[in-house]
Amino acid sequence: MTAADARAVIELDRVDRYFGAHPAVLDLSFRVMEGEIVALLGRTGAGKSTALHMIMGVLEPTRGTVRVEGLDPYAQFKALRGKLAVSFQNDRLLPWRAAWENVALGLEILGFDRETQRDRAIQWLENVKIVGEENVRKYPHELSGGMRQRVSLARALCVDPELVLLDESFSQLDHVTSKALRTDFTELVRRLGKTCVLITHRIDDALEMADRILVLAAPAKLALEVRVTPALRSDSDWLEAQHAAIAAAMGGEDEGEAA
Amino acid sequence: MSTRIDPETAAGLEPPAPAGAERNYFKRDLFASIVIIALIAFAMEAWSWVAPVYIMPSVVLTGDEILTILGEDYIHIVTTILRLLFAVAFSLVTGSLIGVIMGIVRPAEPFIKALVVIFTGVPALSWMLFAIFWFRGTEERVFFILAVILIPFYALNVYDGIKALSTDLVEVVETFRPSRWQVFRLLILPHIVPYILMTTKSIIGYAARMTAFAELVSVNTGMGARMGLAQDELNMQGVIGWTILLVIVNLGVQAIVAWAEKRLLKWRPEVSVR
Ligand SMILES: Nc1ncnc2c1ncn2[C@@H]1O[C@H](COP(=O)(O)OP(=O)(O)OP(=O)(O)O)[C@@H](O)[C@H]1O
Ligand SMILES: [Mg+2]
Repeated sequence: MTAADARAVIELDRVDRYFGAHPAVLDLSFRVMEGEIVALLGRTGAGKSTALHMIMGVLEPTRGTVRVEGLDPYAQFKALRGKLAVSFQNDRLLPWRAAWENVALGLEILGFDRETQRDRAIQWLENVKIVGEENVRKYPHELSGGMRQRVSLARALCVDPELVLLDESFSQLDHVTSKALRTDFTELVRRLGKTCVLITHRIDDALEMADRILVLAAPAKLALEVRVTPALRSDSDWLEAQHAAIAAAMGGEDEGEAA
Repeated sequence: MSTRIDPETAAGLEPPAPAGAERNYFKRDLFASIVIIALIAFAMEAWSWVAPVYIMPSVVLTGDEILTILGEDYIHIVTTILRLLFAVAFSLVTGSLIGVIMGIVRPAEPFIKALVVIFTGVPALSWMLFAIFWFRGTEERVFFILAVILIPFYALNVYDGIKALSTDLVEVVETFRPSRWQVFRLLILPHIVPYILMTTKSIIGYAARMTAFAELVSVNTGMGARMGLAQDELNMQGVIGWTILLVIVNLGVQAIVAWAEKRLLKWRPEVSVR
């Protein structure tokens, strides 16, 4: 524990992950405190998703330990039921379920009755600004890309998880939609006091959303750590300096991402 | 009659027509169908004027025969329909289960797949002859023939369906930590429904014809058997009458499947391929 009132929700301790002989993550250690929004930043192939998969418990580390809420997410997979939720780059909605039914997926798995599922799902769709009986009942193919991504975020938040994980959830949307969704999401997560780890390869997104930025160089190894506060966020000189420092640590920002 | 449906192509998903176009086409198609039916009836009538009655009976005589069948022999129509629906329902459930097991239980896959492929290679006629040797009861015979022919189609198509299940969806469902049963109910089952429906759609006409054929070869009740009887008695209007009724039954069951498909797959985007 670093502070008296802060509790580590995620702890990675000297974690390696190999795919065959290829190291995707090497000697990675970090902690995420309760209520914190942490961005994992890195170029493509840096091992961000691999790290997230280990936190999700779908991938086993080759070496080192991963703890979520003090539990091993891989070995104690079922123990984290209802405690974490994920949203991905692509919306991954089940095509046969209407918008609200997709949002209710986690609640259904957790065994809530249909009435509660529906009420909460509709409430969450409202929170991500999808309102109206007709929109709520639409199937994924009848929604726009931005709306689908909103549904996917609502699905993650609907189970009221302690930990929210996002893997490039905003990167496939157009600039305006992405910006609006990022703002809505960060506001919501802060208000609810959720812990959140989000992956991005855009420096500006990370600076805008996170309390702390962990810059990963390939293979995923901590290259730089940046703390962000609301005051610093409005200081354009500081932002410019950090942007340059982060870009250098990443080994150059991905090209073609300025739009 | 003995044309086999290739299970590979049976899996092919036909793109449904867009809704607007469907409505426009309906009137046109109906009109065309009426024209064709009228032309066939007229050709048969014209032929009947020059041919003896055991080659081609007149339309009136055939119509009479159909009315007689509907009045006195309708139980055979009901029998055939029930046999068909029961066998298809059974094969659907059993075959789909086998397909799911093939897709999920990895070590079982190559064995079941080999078995299924060998089974689909056995000609339908062989199964009919086996059925006559192996079973005394008529219902068992027809049921056996249909089930053994239809189950592999469901098994193979559902198996292909499971292999096509996106790992992205599996992963997102897994993150909620579901039980095995929940994975089946929430993910696998809805995912394979289209494959089951497509299989049913492509085999149902074949199955209807196969039912009549099995009845002709192996039993003495049902539409196929009555058709055989009419043939023995050189009753050509009977043969034609039963044929027309078989066509109607065939189209009827196909319409039911099409309706079920529309209802169950309303979540699918309507694609039109130019
Ligand atoms: N299942 C796998 N099998 C083999 N190699 C893998 C697998 N998953 C990832 N890798 C490799 O591990 C490295 C890191 O991949 P990862 O997906 O974690 O990168 P990333 O930082 O998320 O990149 P991106 O920004 O493109 O999503 C890459 O070199 C990748 O090829
Ligand atoms: Mg990734």
